[in-house]
Amino acid sequence: MAARVLLLIALFTGHAMFAWAIPQQAPDTVQQETAVSTPSDGSKQANVQTPTAPKDDKDNRDARPPHRIHVRLGTVSLGLGYSYFSGPYYYPYRVFGFYSCGVAYPAFFCDAFWCAPTSLLSPVYSGSLAYAEDKGEVRLTADPKTVKVYIDGAYAGTADRLKSMWLESGAYDLSLSAMGRTAFHQRIYILSGKSLKILARLEPEDAPGAAHEKPVKP
Amino acid sequence: MNRRILQGLVLLVAAPVVASGPRGTVPKPAANRYQAHAEKDGVSVGATLLTSDEVRKTFVSEVNRCCLVVEVALYTLRDKPQQLSLDDFSLRVMGSETALKPSSAKVAAASIQKSAESQRDITVSPSVGVGYESGPYSHGTYRAASVAVGVSEPGSHSGSSERDRDTMQTELTEKGLPEGTTSAPVAGYLYFSLTRKKNTPLQLEWVLSGNKITLTLP
Repeated sequence: MAARVLLLIALFTGHAMFAWAIPQQAPDTVQQETAVSTPSDGSKQANVQTPTAPKDDKDNRDARPPHRIHVRLGTVSLGLGYSYFSGPYYYPYRVFGFYSCGVAYPAFFCDAFWCAPTSLLSPVYSGSLAYAEDKGEVRLTADPKTVKVYIDGAYAGTADRLKSMWLESGAYDLSLSAMGRTAFHQRIYILSGKSLKILARLEPEDAPGAAHEKPVKP
Repeated sequence: MNRRILQGLVLLVAAPVVASGPRGTVPKPAANRYQAHAEKDGVSVGATLLTSDEVRKTFVSEVNRCCLVVEVALYTLRDKPQQLSLDDFSLRVMGSETALKPSSAKVAAASIQKSAESQRDITVSPSVGVGYESGPYSHGTYRAASVAVGVSEPGSHSGSSERDRDTMQTELTEKGLPEGTTSAPVAGYLYFSLTRKKNTPLQLEWVLSGNKITLTLP
């Protein structure tokens, strides 16, 4: 029996599946909010504002009308495929029986949904924090990573598993807490299709100046 | 018994007020920390015109689409409570005859939504692939290149939905200058539906007890 090797890196199939598994249109990152153990949301705003910001040409942009049409670069795909076939063209099907899940086979039928790691199937991702078109994204970076995250007072999980969470459009109270650390509270506003970056550092409670604001560069 | 009922009623009435959270921003230590400041009859006022970059960092809503944003802080004497109303403020382009009252959060949010509805995104996604196949019957190299162009429908842009408008209104309201009687320093943002011309200074006017206070914003 002639040896048969089939090795195919799916060009269009592969990247089509990949593109299907992720949102086609990347959300706009509109704001980078940084705060350090701020006791209230109001104090965070004081970090953002500069008392005497020098005026430059940026102000001139205020005079320009907003653009109605935006052109953006979408997903750029590059693919490479190799296929080798040796042997008679027609085979009695019974010779080979059923295909097993071999090396090349999963390349066709294992996409992000069928062969997702078990961690992606946790309630955090399959619940209300999963992606949807009419939701906005919160990209959360916390230090330490294992702090507990609460949204409107409800426990959502630990920060290391909530690096990216999707919420419906609205205003929320985001709280992070950990034993021996100062709590982090922030009022966040989520718009559909937009991404909000949040960096939260929870200082130790006994650290000097833990309750004070420290502006952090994004 | 009646006292308990009364306490319950007070809690019911007070709960929504407390849940609505703080309004405005945290005032800076003194009025002179702002770009422009003035004092009259023991009342100090400071104001800063936010650049478009600062607006982008401060708001999730795309306020630059509709408005100029001025942060205003008032410092009153404790024994002289001051009535604060948005109608007492106006913004004027220096040398111009007409002045503009600040827009309410509702109007500003509706304006942003209308602007977002009219915006369309064009997404360009190029794709390139190379394949090689070898076998007893055929072999060869295959190349493929394609460009996908997608045009979003009007109204699909972020901030264009009704729910987004509510969120934007909430954000603008919560960060806006609070109205009412105050005997403590207060601060917040004012939104003016004005397109600024290049290097044209603005004048913020505030009517205090019949007297006009003018602040020049560079």
